[in-house]
Amino acid sequence: MSEQFRKVEQYSPKSSPRGSRSPVVPRQDSTGTLKATISLGKNPSIVHTGPFYLIKEPPTESDLTGATNLMAHYGLEHSYNKSSGRKVRDTLSSFLPNLPGQIDSPGHLDNSSLRSVIEKPPIGGKELLPLSSMQLSGFRLHPGALPEQYRLMNQVPQKKKHKHKKHKHKPGDTPSHQESTTTSDVASSAEKKHKKQKRHDDDKERKKRKKEKKKKKQKHSPEHPSNSSHMDM
Amino acid sequence: MTSQALENLEAQLETFIENIRQIKIIVSDFQPQGQNVLNQKIQTVVSGLQEIDKLKSQVQDVHVPLEVFDYIDSGRNPQLYTKDCMEKAMNKNEAVRGKIDAYRRFRAHLMVELTSVFPAEMAKYRAIRGDERPMS
Repeated sequence: MSEQFRKVEQYSPKSSPRGSRSPVVPRQDSTGTLKATISLGKNPSIVHTGPFYLIKEPPTESDLTGATNLMAHYGLEHSYNKSSGRKVRDTLSSFLPNLPGQIDSPGHLDNSSLRSVIEKPPIGGKELLPLSSMQLSGFRLHPGALPEQYRLMNQVPQKKKHKHKKHKHKPGDTPSHQESTTTSDVASSAEKKHKKQKRHDDDKERKKRKKEKKKKKQKHSPEHPSNSSHMDM
Repeated sequence: MTSQALENLEAQLETFIENIRQIKIIVSDFQPQGQNVLNQKIQTVVSGLQEIDKLKSQVQDVHVPLEVFDYIDSGRNPQLYTKDCMEKAMNKNEAVRGKIDAYRRFRAHLMVELTSVFPAEMAKYRAIRGDERPMS
């Protein structure tokens, strides 16, 4: 108990060399601190060291602010001019033209997104070893072509966009509905063939009509032998 | 050193993808005499993965922002991310420069008006702050 009282006496204002004033605390950062002293004791009061109330020390000015051209400061002007002047195409295939397959389609449709790799990283850490003959025997395939539903994956992505084929766009596709999409793709391929046949037939009809028009024109032209005979008459 | 490592990694990945593409062609119309070739290609896939695994230590200091992955996942050119980033930085720089300029003008205007209304007090204020921050 006496030790506690001794400790209290050490910090009492009576033993302080500054009297009733607060003890001197070393201050390293005086930014924002009040220029005033608070005195305790019988008549506690706040003594202002300056003529202005609540005046604070201003923050230290830094050399680098938003007022400077930060692009020039960090030597990025050339890079900025280069990137802004050059026409950059929007598609991923323009950045990676040598990659096969359809890379411009969104990754979440066929579960090939990079985000999914980050959120659910694959199990790794195992050593990569060449396959043994027993393991390779599992890759023995049956001869013949692939089934129809898997053949569409071999198609080269068409660069020409067909604006009339809007009915094929299905925004509700998810990876769990891949089978339904593949069957719909089969149906769409059948539709494509049917439409191609139609176009072929249409072309044939157009050619026939053109031929008929030509014949009519030739009949009515004065150079036609039948017309010339009539003219003579 | 990093650019060389990235080039090596890019070349290795392109070779790997080409190998996979060739496997796809073999499998799409498989013939029995192609079984040995297929087995060789599968072993090449494993060796390709081993080579890529060896290269990962050389590119560990390369950091890719996660936002670039969003661009790639939506089928967009990742160079657009760099372009958008620089444009955003430039626009933000201009906006902050405008704010700083506006605050400076406001301070100058306020000092002028306060001096006209409270000349003695402003003289004391300038005396206190005169050495620290000159009148601008």
